[in-house]
Amino acid sequence: MSTPLLQVEHLRVTYRVARRKVVAVQDASFVARRGRCLGIAGESGSGKSSLARAILALEDQVSGKVLFDGQDVLRQTRAARREFRRRAQMVFQDPLGSLNPRLKVGAALGEVLRVHKIADSRADVQAQIARWLTTVGLDPAYADRFPHELSGGQRQRVNIARALCVGAEFLVADEPVSALDVSVQAQILNLLQTLQADCGITWVLIGHDLAVMRHMADDLLIMQAGEIVESGPAAQILENPQHPYTRALLASASHLESAQNGL
Amino acid sequence: MKATHSNEDVKAGTDVVLTVTNLGVGFFPDSARRYDVVRGVHLTLRAGQTTALVGESGCGKSITAAALGGPLPRGMVQDEGEIRWAAGVESRPGRGLAYVFQDPGECLNPVFTIRNQIHEVLPTEERGNAEERLVELMRQVGFAEPARVLASYPHQLSGGMQQRAMLAMALAGRPRVLVADEPTTALDVTVQAQILQLLKDLQRQENLAMLLITHNLGVVAAMADYVHVMYAGQIVEAGPASLLQAPRHPYVQGLLRALPRLRGPRQKLQGIEGSVPPLGQRPAGCRFHPRCPVARDICRQREPEWKAVDDQHAVACRAIGADGWE
Repeated sequence: MSTPLLQVEHLRVTYRVARRKVVAVQDASFVARRGRCLGIAGESGSGKSSLARAILALEDQVSGKVLFDGQDVLRQTRAARREFRRRAQMVFQDPLGSLNPRLKVGAALGEVLRVHKIADSRADVQAQIARWLTTVGLDPAYADRFPHELSGGQRQRVNIARALCVGAEFLVADEPVSALDVSVQAQILNLLQTLQADCGITWVLIGHDLAVMRHMADDLLIMQAGEIVESGPAAQILENPQHPYTRALLASASHLESAQNGL
Repeated sequence: MKATHSNEDVKAGTDVVLTVTNLGVGFFPDSARRYDVVRGVHLTLRAGQTTALVGESGCGKSITAAALGGPLPRGMVQDEGEIRWAAGVESRPGRGLAYVFQDPGECLNPVFTIRNQIHEVLPTEERGNAEERLVELMRQVGFAEPARVLASYPHQLSGGMQQRAMLAMALAGRPRVLVADEPTTALDVTVQAQILQLLKDLQRQENLAMLLITHNLGVVAAMADYVHVMYAGQIVEAGPASLLQAPRHPYVQGLLRALPRLRGPRQKLQGIEGSVPPLGQRPAGCRFHPRCPVARDICRQREPEWKAVDDQHAVACRAIGADGWE
């Protein structure tokens, strides 16, 4: 068995709010297996986004260990941090808010390609942009469009292309489809699944929708009030939840679904 | 009679409170341009019954609701159709008609207490000695400690409690019609179930006609008697809520296939290709045709026809029925 790509030990994230310390994530330990999707589910305020940001070294007041490919990302040299920033990427909930409104799609991708020195010549950059737009299901002609000219689903495709075009191996997607319509949601989820299979991406899916988790996640963490209350294979947790909170979440979600099935 | 989706004459005996016939709303951003926002909407709201308007963002469901009584957004005008209230029903917004919206935190004023805000919307004759009525409203929406909540500011309440306070405000004018626009979308799933149950209880107690606007088909199934599915400003399928068990319109069928499920076999999700056309880019003919798996030439050229599936269930699709190809 290969070692997991990400190994988190006793992670604790705190914020300072009006001179008081607030604990957002308490003693979180888990692994993300290579080539798999790890789901992190919980209600708002449960700490799932703080956890996601902490494992990408985007939070300051963090203690514990985050081992990425064996290296602790919380204690890195500048050069190592730069390499980590290339290999580990994030996709956010709001597809418009995460794109610069004044950059065309091509420029947005070209920027990260140059920053991470993936492509240097002009022709090479253009070729990479075209290749990645095609990979995420967009016509290469979209390189010439501004974000406001795209639909929500298309913007999220651009965000995914921007994250992956630098050769990322690890992707954290924080509620990537919550802002999208149902019919488009399925397109993006399918795309992420295809990329996981084709590019061997390891990824973390943050979300509140357990039905989405059931379709996407191999492993699952359930968070409540900053703590991981249940973890294990997704199918097992959703089939046979042990923690009372997981049961409550599942009961509320399946109540609506059974109403729909048993009309 | 030409088939439409109006559910007139259904369940005779329940009181019709509000009828909407052939509603159209146009958007006039300046004197030169004009867009159709909503076209040809028929609705019948009955006391004690819930009618759901379902659709994806930008399909016109909230604008339809706003046309019933609230002000339409700037630049929009109801330019077609009729909204008729039953005789003797007070139709003013806030009295006969009340709204509850998606984000209670945005709707409540952060600098006034809940008491202040509910008091303000009480009918004038009840304002003098209002304490008893305020407490009654608080109890109706399920607060065990009315005095404490009344004295609170919105930020001191959780999302679910804020939505309860909004409901108390909505009930203050003793409405006959309650429009609930995505009432639980901003709430966590465990709280969502409580608020939906509360809406049901209040509807029964007050014999409210409810227009429920949502994109969540599960919420429709749990709440609605009738459902109207909207796409790009038009209703495409309408009937009893049970139609979602076996929808006929290709769009509605596609929506159901796109939905991840908690039970049943884990299949690959099927999205609907493309996305909802924005205002101003809506295609001619059937507005769903560019995304429709069964569209033919006639769908590109002509508006869809209403077909009756049975006496309550109707679909706006040429592919359905005896002369259709599905």
